[in-house]
Amino acid sequence: MNRFRWLVLPVAAGALAAVPWVTSDTIVQYGINALLVATLAQSWNIIGGFSGYPSFGNSVFYGLGTYGTAIAMAQLHWSFGSGLVFGAVLGVACALLFGIPILRLRGPYFAIATLGLAAVMSAIIATVEIAGKNIGLILPLFRGDTLFYELSLILLVAATATVAWIARSRFGVGLVAIREDEDAAQVMGINTTMYKVAALTVAAFFSALAGGIHAYWITFIDPASAFDPSLNVRMVIMTLFGGPGTVLGPVLGAFVLSAVSEVLASQATGVASLFYGIVIVAAVVFMPKGLLDVVQGFRESRWRYFTDNIRRYRL
Amino acid sequence: MQLFGQILVNGILLGGLYGLMGLGMGLVWGVLKIVNLAHGALIMLGGYALYFLYTKAGVDPFLGLPLAMLAMFVLGYLLQTLLLNLIVRSAQLNTLLLTFGLDVVFVYMAQLLFTADFRTINPPYAGKNISLFGVTVPYAQLGAFGVAVLLAALLYLVLDKTRTGRAIRATAQNLVAARLYGVNPKRIYAITFGTGAALAGAAGGLYGIVSQITPYIGVTLTAKSFVIAILGGLDKPLGVIGGGLVLGIAEAMAALYLDPTYTDIISFGLLVLVLIARPAQLLGRA
Repeated sequence: MNRFRWLVLPVAAGALAAVPWVTSDTIVQYGINALLVATLAQSWNIIGGFSGYPSFGNSVFYGLGTYGTAIAMAQLHWSFGSGLVFGAVLGVACALLFGIPILRLRGPYFAIATLGLAAVMSAIIATVEIAGKNIGLILPLFRGDTLFYELSLILLVAATATVAWIARSRFGVGLVAIREDEDAAQVMGINTTMYKVAALTVAAFFSALAGGIHAYWITFIDPASAFDPSLNVRMVIMTLFGGPGTVLGPVLGAFVLSAVSEVLASQATGVASLFYGIVIVAAVVFMPKGLLDVVQGFRESRWRYFTDNIRRYRL
Repeated sequence: MQLFGQILVNGILLGGLYGLMGLGMGLVWGVLKIVNLAHGALIMLGGYALYFLYTKAGVDPFLGLPLAMLAMFVLGYLLQTLLLNLIVRSAQLNTLLLTFGLDVVFVYMAQLLFTADFRTINPPYAGKNISLFGVTVPYAQLGAFGVAVLLAALLYLVLDKTRTGRAIRATAQNLVAARLYGVNPKRIYAITFGTGAALAGAAGGLYGIVSQITPYIGVTLTAKSFVIAILGGLDKPLGVIGGGLVLGIAEAMAALYLDPTYTDIISFGLLVLVLIARPAQLLGRA
């Protein structure tokens, strides 16, 4: 079994790539959403999972990617490729501009600053003339679900490969050190500010690209949908559910939860979000290290795994 | 000049309410070391509680306020005993994530149960006002401000004079030492979180009288409560009201001299500035 382990991922990616040719349009459309949100979860994993900084504002990078691509294509008549680049530049610029001051903050201070950013960003964009104020922008129409699907898949694979590299690199070890004890990490000679800003920037890069792809696919964007704060809920919970700080956890979590929420969303609006909230609460209490850890822990200690988790942290 | 006076008064009246919001946040933060990201959602729930007390049972909003607060206290007490106590010793990331999840649960439960319609608690005296030196002061706003200040003073007295209040402050300073002196931390934590929820509920009810409630008002109010709690100092109830006044006046001025859409941007700018300007020093002994 272990000898063929390295084969599993390429085969899984290949199977996913074949989906548009063997299934229906509905599944491809659902797949695009699932792949993009998995990319967002994977990006959140870099800043939230590895360095332990609970960002509740990554939707801002996604939104800027959306708007960058839309402005480039609808207002400046650039091509899709240059639009994506422009969106990514906006996202990265925001991460640098905003990250440098707020990544000096820790724990709740950082969390609230990102929460605030996410809450006002749509209001800020709604005052910008070239972004279509609060009416939004319409992109040129292009129908090609297969292309968008494959692009999203490539992006997710690229993000996951980046995280896999981070997990093995000195950079990743530094981020984990920051998560476990930032002062100690600093004493050990890690340039914590640079590491954290780099982590946020990489996260912003992938989130912005996901936004750009989504913008051209959906062809209409407005401030409320581009900066939808509930996106933050989804990326946080998917990472947390799958396993924060692991390479495949966020992808696994995103796929499982996307499937469940797709079923729930057909019931009534809000039910899916309510479900996400309940999953966050339950995950923090019963499985703070995510699904991957449950699989391992459950093999060793069965149901005691869950009670042990509670026993460790209760008052 | 008269316009300036009017805006100043509006800002002060709003600021008192903001202060009340910060009060519950600061109390829970200072004692439990939990930054409650569901604070805004508790404010929202308090608003709905008072709204239904008024529309369904016909209770005057200001008389119904203690009832709404009691309901929120019970909710907070149960949340702490049944849920938050389970993870209170884990990493701060986890407490943040848990309260974030609670926030999501409350918001979407409210959306399912109460719909997303705008609601306003509209007592018959809502439109009445009094004129002082050419400045118009609406009764409802004045009443909300008075209640906010009253509750802050009450909290100060309870923390300072009563046995439970002293136990709360002792727990905030040193949990282990407090335990050795016979303080039961589970009970104190539950009472503290319950009180925080009751204060949030009061703020939400008053917010419903002077403004509108929807299931989604919580997020920005959480962020504002946080700034106010920092501005005022976690263990100084009257200071927190002062922090609320600063934010209220800043927002009212921004709405007048810039544009009403900028109010949230201004309070967010203030948020980032306050956060960057070394929170540890603002907090005094943090």
